[in-house]
Amino acid sequence: MIMKKIILIPVFVFISLLADSHIGSPGVTFEGKAGSYSVMVLITPPDVIPGTAIIHIYTKGTGIESIWAKPVYWFAGSKGTPSADEMLPVANEPGHYQGLVWLMEAGTSGITLEIKGSADSGSVLVPVMAVSTTQREMPTSLKWILFALCVFLVGLMITIISVSVSDGLVKPGETITSKIVRKRWIGAGVSAVLLVLILWGGKSWWDGWASDYKRYMYKPLRAYSTVSQSRGRNMLELRIDTTRHSSLNYTRKLSYVVPDHGKLMHMFLVRAGSMDVFAHLHPQRKDSATYITPLPPLPNGKYLIFADITRLSGFSETIPDTIEIDNKIPATLASMDSSTLNRDDTYFITNPFSTSKTNQTVTDGIVICGKPGIKTSLPDGSTAIWEHAASESIISGKLYGLSFTILDENGKPAKLDPYLGMMGHAVVMKDDGSVYIHLHPVGSYSMASQQTMLNRFEKETGPVNWAKLTLPAVFMDSINQVVAQLEAMSEEDRNKKLMGDMQHQVDGDHPEHSIVTFPYAFPSAGNYRIWIQMKRNGKILNSAFDAVVE
Amino acid sequence: MQNISIPSSSVLDQSQSKVGQAGIPFYLFATVLCSLSIMIGLVWDISWHMSIGRDGLFSSPHLAIYLGGVTAGLFSGYRVLKITFAGTPLERAKTVKFWGVFHASLGNLFCIWGAIAMITSAPFDDWWHSSYGLDVTILSPPHTVLLLGMIMIQFGAIISVLAYQNLNAEPVRQARISQQGYTILFSLSAGFVLTMIYTIGSEYLSRHNMHGVFFYHVASFIFPLFLIAFSVSSKSKWGATYAAIVYTVFLMLMNWILPLFPATPKLGPVLNPITTFQPFDFPLLILFPAIAIDLITQYAKHNRWLNVLYYGVGFLIAFLIFQWPFANVLMASKGHWFFGTSKWYFGSDPNWEFRYAFGDWSISTGMDLVIGLLIALGISIFSSLVGLSWGNWMKKIVR
Repeated sequence: MIMKKIILIPVFVFISLLADSHIGSPGVTFEGKAGSYSVMVLITPPDVIPGTAIIHIYTKGTGIESIWAKPVYWFAGSKGTPSADEMLPVANEPGHYQGLVWLMEAGTSGITLEIKGSADSGSVLVPVMAVSTTQREMPTSLKWILFALCVFLVGLMITIISVSVSDGLVKPGETITSKIVRKRWIGAGVSAVLLVLILWGGKSWWDGWASDYKRYMYKPLRAYSTVSQSRGRNMLELRIDTTRHSSLNYTRKLSYVVPDHGKLMHMFLVRAGSMDVFAHLHPQRKDSATYITPLPPLPNGKYLIFADITRLSGFSETIPDTIEIDNKIPATLASMDSSTLNRDDTYFITNPFSTSKTNQTVTDGIVICGKPGIKTSLPDGSTAIWEHAASESIISGKLYGLSFTILDENGKPAKLDPYLGMMGHAVVMKDDGSVYIHLHPVGSYSMASQQTMLNRFEKETGPVNWAKLTLPAVFMDSINQVVAQLEAMSEEDRNKKLMGDMQHQVDGDHPEHSIVTFPYAFPSAGNYRIWIQMKRNGKILNSAFDAVVE
Repeated sequence: MQNISIPSSSVLDQSQSKVGQAGIPFYLFATVLCSLSIMIGLVWDISWHMSIGRDGLFSSPHLAIYLGGVTAGLFSGYRVLKITFAGTPLERAKTVKFWGVFHASLGNLFCIWGAIAMITSAPFDDWWHSSYGLDVTILSPPHTVLLLGMIMIQFGAIISVLAYQNLNAEPVRQARISQQGYTILFSLSAGFVLTMIYTIGSEYLSRHNMHGVFFYHVASFIFPLFLIAFSVSSKSKWGATYAAIVYTVFLMLMNWILPLFPATPKLGPVLNPITTFQPFDFPLLILFPAIAIDLITQYAKHNRWLNVLYYGVGFLIAFLIFQWPFANVLMASKGHWFFGTSKWYFGSDPNWEFRYAFGDWSISTGMDLVIGLLIALGISIFSSLVGLSWGNWMKKIVR
């Protein structure tokens, strides 16, 4: 197959919406246990640092006495934690608590939640990437109010200065001569000039402040993707531009990338607009800033690329890019859902996004995406259901446990296997490309990020000693070895290793392993597609669902 | 701006005799108290940010600041409206007329301006925080508007007192007790302004800076200006000295009182886990140059330029010979409660090797020192020139 590649398309508008390890979806979700209490958590980090994160906690647990939250920073260590703040119960909503936590510095932080109850107490750490992502404009009404106050203050000050050098020096009862009046006008003129100069100075100061802020604002890493042929296969190479870091230089260093679920990079390709083609790949590292992967036989079109990485610092982020795949001879696809590549890589072709509330009929082996509450057939004979009543609308900003049940050929609950150490992976995307997120049953945070912070807080207490960090080349080498070892393991051994390393439950509250739940809050109204990836009978089982969020 | 109506000679006589009979007006006490409230609030607020780190719009220090601002603004606004619409000719004679309608004393005008500036800063600061992040610095554009508002109110207090003091001095001498009252009120209001100016410059005036020339540049810029203005405009012989005493005593008291109250950091990262409010800073020894300045005011009756030279040189020498060695005392005190040197931000490493020592980078030596001090001298002379003119103006305020 001949493929032409690389058409670098100007990076999409959504890049401005990008916030840490997801795009356009700033909320961090968590589902799991703190002590014996099951909780679902939604954290909305501030878009300006220093700022406050809003925390919502939902629990069905009984006997909870209090819930406390505090921020932790990877670089500051466990001792660098301020006292916790109590999260307060929300009136008339049993089991719902909320509160604020202040994030004062940019970097990898986390919110530690501690639940104290009659049975026991326990804590969880939810990673939050603290970065400034927004530059606000002043609201027009405030602009006019401040302008009016400014004009009044300037006018009053000119008056004050003019009378201070004239009338104010005349004893009560003495005549105000024309000389005094002249002084008054001179005072007014001179002070007006001075005040204009002062205002001009103030404006330059403000401008300087704004440009400094812009400079240190979080900017997503830029990447340049190319496709080339090698040994009859199409290879995608992603080169990351490391020259544009303006802040968090250590925190975001690419030499310190650590594996998440055993992979250095999780790359997702989605055909732009129709969202009908989806691929989940795991590129290999060529050098610290270059990643390479064989491409599955994807149909022509423009693709959005989302590449997720996490560092030793716990800083995880998504690197966005686009490529145009232009096969000279149209690809004949052996299967619409094949894993002809690496055992963990997969791609998947479905019908384009549709807003109809009923399922379309299956044609030409293309998998039809499910709708809330309606069964959909999957290529291996099983069926999947999104456990959400079709009549019940989905509201943006509300935290949902998105539950998916898999039934086998006989309509009985299917037994699912772990896939990369989890019972399921999900990707949620909005049809305009403005929202992208990679979810797990435990939430939307990077688990490698959680792990790296927990490891550090267990072993060290004080601030990071940058000078003592392992040299980049040595670090990369040892990580490459770990990844290679994992690659060489059998599926069973590897799952054992991956699940053992992660201090979390693989599947929330569903030990029967036929239902997988992903905690998520859709950030805005619109058309979304959710791809669910699970493993059954040793094979990756893909399904997709469409949702119209109000 | 319109001409003021000319009071008749009977009003003039009346005004002079009334001044003689009246005691110190209540609103003068109120304005000076407002100035104190603002100053307590500000020093407390700085300590709050060093010890607790986060606050709300209605934190106690903020309330102290607003109380001062709002009270001064309301008092002044009320007086202006009252005199404008229901004032006697005598009351009006002691004011300036502006915008064709209003009658106000200069002090009232300053206080009103300050209160409105403080009010303006609130929505501005709120937006600023939402756009550029929550408080991490003293000097930002909205904070500057707030600081200007506070200074104007404090300045309004001085001007209000001065107008009475200047009018009281001649031609009708009042009872001595009243003159002493004005001196006390003037010393207090001037001392609070000195404290405010010091607070604004304090980022460059810490003990770690005291052996570097930049410290002396900043001090030579801000202090002669105010000390000389106070020395010249006070009816007492010791205007600058009294103001410096108020400044010194106020800061020492704040240093001793604040650490008595518990406070723990509410923001992370915490590198210095403290349990009480952190003191501010030990006052600079400007008392000595203040005495020198008052002596020059009393004895130097030369021409203006020669006086400026005496003031400039006098300030720098008197400041340098006391402050430079005193810096060593502060370092050696190693956090003794008397000096308040234990002060350490919760986000800074308390075990820093230079916590009680001068780093190489902060000490000026050799030619750097000589040239730096010569520059400080130039700044001091310039500041003295402005201070003298300003003081002479303040001496003439009568409304």
